[in-house]
Amino acid sequence: MNNFEFTTRRRTSFLGFVIAALCSFASPIANTTSDATEVAPALDGRWSGKIQIPGHELTLIIDLAHDQKWSGSAILPRLNVKGAPLIDIKTEGADLSFAIQALTGPGVEAPKIKAHLTGEKLVGDFVQAGNTGRFELDKTGPPQVEKAPQSTPVAKEFEGEWSGGYDLPGYPRKVTLKLQNHPLQPASAEWVIAGRKINNLPVDRITQQGKFITVECSAFGISYEGRLENGELHGTVFQGPIEVAFVMRRPK
Amino acid sequence: MKLSIFACLIFCAIVISADAQSMFRGNPAHTGVFSGPAPREFHGVKWKFPTGNRIVGSPVIEGQVIYFGSDDGNIYALDSQSGRQVWKTKTRGPVPTTPAIANGTLYVGSYDGNFYALDSKTGELKWKFATGGERRFEAKGLHGMQPKNQTIADPFDIFLSSPVVVDNAVYFGSGDGNIYRLDTKSGALNWKFKTGDVVHASPAFADNTVFVGSWDSYFYAIDANSGKEKWHFHGGEDALIHNQVGFQSSPAVVDGVVYTGCRDAQLYALDAANGKEKWKFDNQLSWVITSPAVHNGKVYFATSDSALYHVADAATGKSLVKEDGRAYMFSSPAVVNDTVFIGVTNGTLAARDAATGKVLWEFQTDASKENKDWVLTADRRFNAPLLFFDNWKEGPLVAQDRQLSVGSIFSSPLIASGTVYFGSTDGFLYAID
Repeated sequence: MNNFEFTTRRRTSFLGFVIAALCSFASPIANTTSDATEVAPALDGRWSGKIQIPGHELTLIIDLAHDQKWSGSAILPRLNVKGAPLIDIKTEGADLSFAIQALTGPGVEAPKIKAHLTGEKLVGDFVQAGNTGRFELDKTGPPQVEKAPQSTPVAKEFEGEWSGGYDLPGYPRKVTLKLQNHPLQPASAEWVIAGRKINNLPVDRITQQGKFITVECSAFGISYEGRLENGELHGTVFQGPIEVAFVMRRPK
Repeated sequence: MKLSIFACLIFCAIVISADAQSMFRGNPAHTGVFSGPAPREFHGVKWKFPTGNRIVGSPVIEGQVIYFGSDDGNIYALDSQSGRQVWKTKTRGPVPTTPAIANGTLYVGSYDGNFYALDSKTGELKWKFATGGERRFEAKGLHGMQPKNQTIADPFDIFLSSPVVVDNAVYFGSGDGNIYRLDTKSGALNWKFKTGDVVHASPAFADNTVFVGSWDSYFYAIDANSGKEKWHFHGGEDALIHNQVGFQSSPAVVDGVVYTGCRDAQLYALDAANGKEKWKFDNQLSWVITSPAVHNGKVYFATSDSALYHVADAATGKSLVKEDGRAYMFSSPAVVNDTVFIGVTNGTLAARDAATGKVLWEFQTDASKENKDWVLTADRRFNAPLLFFDNWKEGPLVAQDRQLSVGSIFSSPLIASGTVYFGSTDGFLYAID
C-alpha cells in the first residue's frame, strides 16, 4: 500500500483524512523545465484570470518567463498557493502546457494546464483530480516568477549524525539524520526513519537560519524543524496534520 | 551649530515619521494617526499583489518596503512603488496580524503558536518564541449557535494580537491567555501576564505601562518593567450566549486617557492612571471591534452589526458625527490630516471627511462588485436572510465564510506618501491613490 507504515483500524472520517494524508506519498516530481524549442515572447509575462469551476470561479495567476529556458510560478488566492513552481513546461508555437507543483494529495496529482495563445488571451483547460475547468487569462504585466527556496550550507555545530525517536499511535519511530557540507555547494542530508520498515527519505531541501534547521522531503510530505540547544536538536516532525516534538542527540 | 541642530531636528523628524508607520496603529500608543498627504479623490489602483489566502492584518512600512502577513502563512516584504515581492518567509499557520519593525527586525506572531523575529531586509529568521499555542475564543452556544451545548469557536475572532515594540522589548497577547514581554534581541521571556481567556487585542504602550483587554471581560494596565498589574477594569459579561463579552478592540492612549472598544457594545474612555471610567458610548448591542483613532480631541470608531461610523468628543464622549457605513466594520480608522480611511467588510474602502464624516470616495473590490450568491444587497449591506438562514451546526460558519467572499476589508489602512495600502479577504494587498 505504501512504504511508510501507518495503519489503524479506526474509521472516523477525520482520522480517515489523517491516515490518507499520512499514507499518501506522491511520487517525486522532477522539476524538469524543458527548453523551449520555439521561443514565444508573447507568452512571457504575468497572466491573470478565472478558472470556471461548477458554481464557482477560481482566480489563477501564472508568471511565465523565458531566459534560455522557461520558468514559472503560480498563485491561486484562497487555496494557499503562492509562488508554486511550474514544472514540465512545454511550448509549441502558441500552445503551452505545464503542471503546478501544488495541491497534491492522497491519489491526486499536481494540476495540469494546457493552454493556447489566442490573440491577447491565454485560453485553456485546468485539470485537477480528473476534473477539467476552462480558463481565460489576460496578460497584466511583466513576469514575477518566484524562485523555489534553495538549500543552504549548515554551520559546523549541525554537521554530522543525529539520532532520536518519537511515537506515532502504535509504532515507535527511530530517526537518524546525517548532515554534510560540500565545498561551494549547499549541504546534503541522509534522513532515515525506521519503524516496522526502514525508510530512506529523499531530502530536497535543507536550510539553516541561526539556531534553526529545516529538512524537507516533499515526496513524502514530511519535514523536520529543529533548534540547536546545548548540543541537542530540539524539534518537531511535521507530516500532514500531525506534529510530533522530539529531541535528537549525537550518537554515543 | 544652529545648522547642526536644524539638521538633527530634520533627521529626528524623518526617523519619527518612518517609525510612525512601522507597527499597528502607527505608534506604541496606537493613536491611528498618520502624517503626510492623503488622497481626497480616488485616482486608481497603483498595484495589487496576490497572496495565497486572505489578508486580514494590516500593512506597515519602513523606508520603501511594505510588510504584512497573509492567511497563506507567509510574511511578505514588497517594494512600495512597484508592488514587487522583496522576500517572503513561511510560518506554519495563518498570519492575521500586523507586524512591527524596529532596528532592522520584523516581529510578528502566527497561528502556529510561534512569535517570530525576522531580518527585515532578508526575511531570515533571527529567533522564534513558542507561546502556549493559539486558539480562537470559544463558548457553548456562542452567539446563539446551535446546538447550544456544543462549544463553538468564534468565526468572528478574526485577528491575532499585533506586537508593540518599545526600546528593547516586544509586547503581544496570545490565544493562550497571556500577554508576553520578550527581549527583542534574543527572544528571551522577560515576563508573562496571565489573563482568563484569549488575548487577541493588541497592547498599547504609554508611560511605561502596557494596556490591553482580554476575552475574559477585563481590561488590564500592566507595569512594563515588572509585568505586575497596575489596575483592571471590568467590561460587560454575557453568560447566556457569550456574544456581549470580551475586548477584541485594541486601545489608544492619549493624554492620560485609554480609549477602547468592547464586544459589550461600549466604547470606553478610562483614566490611564487608575482605570476609572471617564465615560462610555453605548452602541446598543453592536460590537466595537475597531481600534479607535484619537486626533485633535476627537475619537473615531465604528461598529459591527449596526454598521455605524462615529466621531465622538474625546473629553466627554458626546456624539459629533454618526454616519451609515452599510456593513460591519472591524477595520480601524486611519486619520491623515482632514481625511479618515476605514475598511468595510462588504469589500469597500471608504475615505471620509474628518470633520463631517461624509464619504469622499470609495473603492470596491472586484469580488464585492461581482456579489456572487447575492451575499450583499443591492446597496451593499449584508443580505442576512440569504446568509444566516440556518443557525444549526456549520450553518453560521458557512455563512461567515460566504460573507468574506466579497473581499472584506478587515485590514486597517496604511497611508504613506499619498498612497493607501490595505489587504482584503480576496487575497490581495492593494495600493491605491
